[in-house]
Amino acid sequence: MEKLQYEKPYIKKLHAGVMNKFGTRTGVQPVKNIDGISVKSLIETYGSPVFVLSERQIRKNYRSAYRAFSTRYPKVQFAWSYKTNYLNAICQVFHQEGSWAEVVSGFEYRKALGNGVPGNKIIFNGPGKTNDELQMAIENDSLIHIDHFEELNQLLTLSNNLANKPRVAIRVNMDTGVYPLWDRFGFNYENGEAWTALTKVVNSGKLQLAGLHCHIGTYMLTTAAYGIAATKLCDLAIRCQTQCNHKIEYIDMGGGFPSTNTLKGAYLPGNDTVPSIDDFAEVITSTLLNYGFANTDLPSLILESGRVLIDDAGYLLGTVIANKRLSSGKRATIVDFGVNILFTSFWYEHQISPAQDFVPHSENMVIYGPLCMNIDVIRESINLPPLSPGDQVVVHKVGAYNMTQWMQFITLRPTVVLIDEQQRTHVIRTSETLQYTEEPEFVPTHLKAK
Amino acid sequence: MKQISAFIKSVINSYSVLFFSQNRVLGLILMLVSFFNPASGFAGLGCVLFSQVICRLLKFYGDDLQTGIYSFNSLLLGIAFGAFYHVNLLFVLWLVVTCGMVIVASILLSQRLGKRGLPMLSLPFILVFWMVLLAANSIFAMGLQQKSSYLLEEIYNGPGHLAGVEGYFAVALPKYVSLFFRALSAVLFQHNIIVGMLMSLGLFIHSRIAFSLLVISFIGACLLNSVIYVYPEGISYYHLGANVMMVSVAMGSFFTIPSLRSYLLAVLCIPVVFIFINALTGFMSVHALPIFSLPFCMVNISLLYFLTLRKSTGKLQLTQVQHYSPERNLYQFLNQQNRLNDLKYLKLNLPFMGYWTVTQGYNGSITHKGDWSEALDFMIYDDEQKTYQYPGTQPENFYCFNKPVLACGDGVVELVVNHLEDNPIGKENLKENWGNTVVIKHAIGLYSKVSHLKKNSAKVKPGDIVKQGDLLALCGNSGRSPEPHLHFQLQATPYIGSKTLRYPFAWYFSRKGNKNSLQSYTIPAEGELVGNPEVNAGIKKAFDLQPGYTARLTQENGNTEEWEVFKDTLGQCGIYSKTTGAAAYYINNGVMFYFTSFYGDKKSMLYYFYLAAYKVIFNDAEELEVNDEFAVHLSQNKVLLLLQDLVAPFYKFISIGYQSSNLVQKNGLSINSKQFDKRNNKQLMDSTICIDHGSLQTISININGSHIKAQWSTEN
Repeated sequence: MEKLQYEKPYIKKLHAGVMNKFGTRTGVQPVKNIDGISVKSLIETYGSPVFVLSERQIRKNYRSAYRAFSTRYPKVQFAWSYKTNYLNAICQVFHQEGSWAEVVSGFEYRKALGNGVPGNKIIFNGPGKTNDELQMAIENDSLIHIDHFEELNQLLTLSNNLANKPRVAIRVNMDTGVYPLWDRFGFNYENGEAWTALTKVVNSGKLQLAGLHCHIGTYMLTTAAYGIAATKLCDLAIRCQTQCNHKIEYIDMGGGFPSTNTLKGAYLPGNDTVPSIDDFAEVITSTLLNYGFANTDLPSLILESGRVLIDDAGYLLGTVIANKRLSSGKRATIVDFGVNILFTSFWYEHQISPAQDFVPHSENMVIYGPLCMNIDVIRESINLPPLSPGDQVVVHKVGAYNMTQWMQFITLRPTVVLIDEQQRTHVIRTSETLQYTEEPEFVPTHLKAK
Repeated sequence: MKQISAFIKSVINSYSVLFFSQNRVLGLILMLVSFFNPASGFAGLGCVLFSQVICRLLKFYGDDLQTGIYSFNSLLLGIAFGAFYHVNLLFVLWLVVTCGMVIVASILLSQRLGKRGLPMLSLPFILVFWMVLLAANSIFAMGLQQKSSYLLEEIYNGPGHLAGVEGYFAVALPKYVSLFFRALSAVLFQHNIIVGMLMSLGLFIHSRIAFSLLVISFIGACLLNSVIYVYPEGISYYHLGANVMMVSVAMGSFFTIPSLRSYLLAVLCIPVVFIFINALTGFMSVHALPIFSLPFCMVNISLLYFLTLRKSTGKLQLTQVQHYSPERNLYQFLNQQNRLNDLKYLKLNLPFMGYWTVTQGYNGSITHKGDWSEALDFMIYDDEQKTYQYPGTQPENFYCFNKPVLACGDGVVELVVNHLEDNPIGKENLKENWGNTVVIKHAIGLYSKVSHLKKNSAKVKPGDIVKQGDLLALCGNSGRSPEPHLHFQLQATPYIGSKTLRYPFAWYFSRKGNKNSLQSYTIPAEGELVGNPEVNAGIKKAFDLQPGYTARLTQENGNTEEWEVFKDTLGQCGIYSKTTGAAAYYINNGVMFYFTSFYGDKKSMLYYFYLAAYKVIFNDAEELEVNDEFAVHLSQNKVLLLLQDLVAPFYKFISIGYQSSNLVQKNGLSINSKQFDKRNNKQLMDSTICIDHGSLQTISININGSHIKAQWSTEN
């Protein structure tokens, strides 16, 4: 008989409550493998903590989302939102699947070019484009989404005496019946600014108004808002067609579809509350199809989804450093990854699974990161079996935003590994080194260590 | 200047069209040899010029004038006049008068017979010349003095004896070879070996196929005669040439597409012509009239009419588009057999959006049987080959449920069933097998039907006019449908339960792995993953060449060429190069652009564009390859082509492939194409066409070791 693992004795407060048929189980299951590769071997090979991305899951997400739209609408194009995860390997997976690039800065724009995306398949969004960046986008025939009148005027100046008109779209914000109202990007629909901008572009004769763009929010939990947004963009497109005699080529509905992470403060888990991509597709496409375009003249539908396509393909593997009891008697577990690399722990109650078998008892605990900072809390409250130092954990659904918003703070950023469809692992970003972080630094001679 | 050159061309054509050709070399040779008898030569040329001028003055313009159809009977008249009569003042007078009569007869007969698609051949000449002969031989003096010559005697007396040792050739050549040349020269009312040789040369240059038929029919006729002794002293040159050999050429290679069957037909015509010659000679001798080429005309016209009355064309194909070259007719026919489906079928699209899998094809194993075997079932699969999401217990869990179902083509809604409940998963409604259904009438006897639709989802009602791609209803699970799927079929009647029809889709993408291939006018097979082709608006716009579109192409060396797009009387679109006179016909079906034929100068930019954009698909997926084949006569290897011509009706060994793919560039995109020899994959041509902002920008082509690059500029 195998020797049983030592269990530290503990005292648990007795809760008198209603009986339920599941007993006291938490439903937590150990996650020992990711795409068939053991967590243990991943940590052994690549260190702890380590980000792991599943190519199979990314492609599956992309295809099912694309299927949801393309079986409902004849002209659909996805553009990968670079800011969600712009590791080149990840971008290339999306480009291979047929995605264009959606970028919001000159830095991201150059990244997209570097990834071999043709200029005319790059959508350039964002409120902060410089003169040079606009110039570059014009030369590459990219789709420039105008955010404000200053940018519009800037573009008009740049597009004097050009043989080919730069292709632009205007970003529109609107009341879609949700709170908060996202009115800081683009031109407002209700107060008429959007129409003013639209007519200004069309009448200038120097720019080609190719599309209309909106992005009504992030982590949207209602599909109705997209119906309202699509209706308002269609209204602008039809008015543009009838009043300005100009056909809009595409309508870009942006992104904002939620992943199944649970938002902080949510009463029910994300899995149960979040509408599926099919629900969003149904609302958007039926609005466009029924709005009154001739079916030969339907505008293309562009989507800039990020999070929903990659969040659940990303995992963060880490190791328990220590346990302690807080003054309240609550258990605290310290792990080796902090909020500096798991930025989304500010937004979500990330699901965390132990990576090895555990005892059937569980306890409410707080999980801290390794940073010597008060804010470094991964989960304020989570029911997990007691974990021992050296135990490994898996954080789920971390594919979106973490690998772009992470920062080098106190600790160094870890390795990112991609598991391909043949279950081979590839390092797609190595862990940082001291030398790497110090490379851009200069120490004046009088301050140099003797 | 242009008019003068057109006039000269039409004069030369009047000669070459005697042998169903537009070949200028042949025309000039015929003109030259007609002067071997100077009187005939001048009279013939004079008549041609006279007819051309008169027709122009009377405004009988058009192809028939240009190709010499209106004037070749005048040519025959002139030659015959010169051969029959001594030249004097009255000769000229009667020639002018009768030439006028031939013009009238030519126009009357060509128009009348043309309505039935039949040729008039040399009927006007025969009729008018009979009148001349009858008049000249009558008791009233016409002033025409008849020559006495060997040939005339023969023409009058029908089967005569072969004699006359003439010059070196007659001695040096075997008897039958000299007979061949003489027979050929007899078509121009001569009996001269040298004339026959020159004509043979011209005919060989014009067409190897036609020439081979001349030889075959000659041998056939001689063999036949040597076996059955119809003409104990041999066949007369004139009948051998003008009737037997001409019938064979006409029936075997000109009015039919050359093939083994057409050659057999040509041989079978020989005994038939014998009967006609003998019967008509006997009949007409009562009036002392020679029959000329009347047997040729009668056999030809009646056989041709007979062939056009066939219910189906079968394997002996008549020439639909006449290129005045048997080779070109054949090559163009073979090339277009599979390329012109756009003209044969109604364009039908798949009745849905995105990619669906054919779960049951034609003659399927589940329900597509018997009278209902030509139907297709479609469903949506995910990467794990599942048709539903967890848990799969409700119709809503199935990917295809609730998805839009579209009209496959333009039409009128004939019938809508909309009230049947969607079945729970696993249950079937065997009482109303087809479930909710929409039937659309596309044409008389062509209806499409989509079935198992969602309850109350129909967006159309009977009588509605729908266009291709219009939303009809949503995919559901009604009728005999245990899980949601879409049933699609074509049928001959508007009723539910009608027998199905086999009918292809105009085009669709078939996806394997992550790669699409374009299928055109095919029926998807079971298990195939299919979707409607996505169309790149930029490429589509660039190739949307409407009549009136003009462009100027400027080459790097400064040469320019002006193009204009036109639509001809048959509704076919083409590009006409104003500078070179070349024309290229094309079809743009909304999904691709392809050329069907090219006429004219092969040094023109239009020819290069024809080669480069032979077939372009309006899609920017890089992995998508378009494959096609050029007509054989575009081969650049002239020696090989000559050999191919000789055996073309029976065996084709030259095959020139075409391949193009579209590549997205930093600005716009490029269409890269190549031409290659299919036997050894040797590349013969490569080209790049650049497109930006929905218009053609540049073309560069490497062909025959030279590199040509040109730039577009357009005003409209």
